Amino acid sequence: MHSRPKHVAPTLVDAVRALADDRVRGFTFVRSDGTERLYSFHDMAVEAERRAGHLAARGLKKGDRLAMVLPEGDEFVLSFLGALFAGVVPVPIYPQLTFKNIEAYHDTVAHIARASGASMLLTSASTKQYVEPGVARVESRPGLVTVDELAGDVGKAGVTVSPEDLAFLQFTSGSTSRPKGVMVSQGNLAANAEAFMIHGLDRDPAVDKGVSWLPLFHDMGLIGFVVGPLFTSVPCVFLPTASFVRAPRAWLDKIHEHRGTITYAPNFAYALVAKRLKDKEVEGLDLSCLRIAGCGAEPIQARALRDFATRLAPAGFDPRSFLPSYGMAEATLAITFMPLREGLTTDRNHIGQELVDCGRVFPEHEIAIVDEEGRRLGERQIGQIVTRGPSVTKGYFNEPELTAETYKPIADEADGAPWLHTGDLGYMVGDRLFVCGRLKDIIIIRGRNYYPSDIEWAVSEIPGIRRGNVVAFGAPLEADGEEQLVICCEGTSGDASAIKDATIACVASQFGLTVQDVVVAPLASLPRTSSGKPQRRKTRQMYVEGTLPRVRHEPVSSGIESDSQGERNAIQCSPPR
Amino acid sequence: MQPATMNDVARPTRDGLLAMFRSAATEVVEKDFQHVQEATVISELAIDSLGMLEIIGSMERQLRIQIPDESLTGLHTIRDLLDVVEKRMAS
Repeated sequence: MHSRPKHVAPTLVDAVRALADDRVRGFTFVRSDGTERLYSFHDMAVEAERRAGHLAARGLKKGDRLAMVLPEGDEFVLSFLGALFAGVVPVPIYPQLTFKNIEAYHDTVAHIARASGASMLLTSASTKQYVEPGVARVESRPGLVTVDELAGDVGKAGVTVSPEDLAFLQFTSGSTSRPKGVMVSQGNLAANAEAFMIHGLDRDPAVDKGVSWLPLFHDMGLIGFVVGPLFTSVPCVFLPTASFVRAPRAWLDKIHEHRGTITYAPNFAYALVAKRLKDKEVEGLDLSCLRIAGCGAEPIQARALRDFATRLAPAGFDPRSFLPSYGMAEATLAITFMPLREGLTTDRNHIGQELVDCGRVFPEHEIAIVDEEGRRLGERQIGQIVTRGPSVTKGYFNEPELTAETYKPIADEADGAPWLHTGDLGYMVGDRLFVCGRLKDIIIIRGRNYYPSDIEWAVSEIPGIRRGNVVAFGAPLEADGEEQLVICCEGTSGDASAIKDATIACVASQFGLTVQDVVVAPLASLPRTSSGKPQRRKTRQMYVEGTLPRVRHEPVSSGIESDSQGERNAIQCSPPR
Repeated sequence: MQPATMNDVARPTRDGLLAMFRSAATEVVEKDFQHVQEATVISELAIDSLGMLEIIGSMERQLRIQIPDESLTGLHTIRDLLDVVEKRMAS
């Protein structure tokens, strides 16, 4: 039994109730039309209580699951809290906001509703039509209810919630399999909130303000900016994810206007700002208020952060506010954080590539690196990252085998308490963690291990290839054959044979490896996760099955698949930075 | 298509909007999109949803409009997208 957190309430319900007297500070939600609405902590507590009453009145009991598809941030947060107040377990599902593949979306909704055993799905009037066909596929026929139908006051739910209770299910797809529901308890929420908000960020409720465009159906947005701040009394401003993607400056504008002190984003967002923001857009921005610019959720590239810092230097951005970190839904959210004010620190790995220091583990939590047999490895030895502590969840909902595989003791330890096996590869230098990639994606060629992200980053630099859209994996070229290196990339220039040559030359010069096959695929044709990362396993599977789309080498008239100019760009491989 | 009025002489024509889409797509995805027509099916352009949102953002900035997220769900062709843009410009 872990000790209870010392600096925060035992459950999120207690934390929100404790804020109910605060009628001034709270959460501000920016709608896509730019209008803002502030809900004071008092309003939020009252509204959560009201929604909880409705859920109870509709027959939802403690422990029942409530699937939620709510694109509007305020509706999402208030309904999520309403469920927690009723002891009901919310199951967030991402809303449909793509321009294709509605069928695949219906499948996802049906899968999550089924796997969670949801007895109801809560959505909004405008979103209902996109969710309904998915719900209709679920045999148990969960009820479909819109937030408008929860009008008026029907009394309190009257449920008691304790730290051992399941708080919510965080469905996570990872890059390898169908989404599975991580069981996050109230105690996990409290422990992680204390870890990253207090030990990690040393938050000051009188000064701090969070600004986030992160999706709320994802752990980084939900735990990082809703749960953590509510446990520690920090006001936040939320803008829609789509607003940021459409106009990256919207993120910086909100930090400027609201004098935000804490923000967080995955690597790609820093890269997007550095790439899209014009000089004149930086004028008039004052980001000197920002003390934390966190980065996590995907491999961090030092270059993206440096480019961002250079771009925003005229706006008073302080590079020491960068806070690289490491975490995952199975550990509630955060596992390691860089110490405050250290900014970006890097290390050179075995092949001279630059890896970002992701910091150290929180008090009361442990981290270790283990080999394939589960034995602890020493400093600078690469192995699987494992962790344990009060933030680590108990496992996946209704997935006992997968849970037993992922949460287990390590070999050389007497007490046998389970560790979360993250499936990520990394190494330690002192108490600092460096993350190298996913264990399952490791490429073994003639007995040597190669990390696909190393190869992918190098190949991403080649002109004509869309950055970030490169996948490297090992696959046998013939049945029962030895694994060979295969690289798939999305081409922008369309001259597939030039891209191919450049890729082969790049990998030969940097890694001393022979690429057996290069697939140049049309833009946006490689399979991706919901957060936009290429899926290595799926790509490999499609490659092996021969279903990967390829840019034809001959010029074609449509221009969709290949650039008919056929002009060969001067392609060269940049040296490792 | 709505006739231009005195108040919005600068409002682009339907062809102008199509051209705007093509050049915004080219800038975001770094690829030639001159072949795009109104009847082109968006999913066949092989632009991911992040890229589509970036393109729409670029058009919004040029036209000084804001398209509500809910109007962006269920778009099939470029014609559907331009309809939404035109409707927004008119309101």
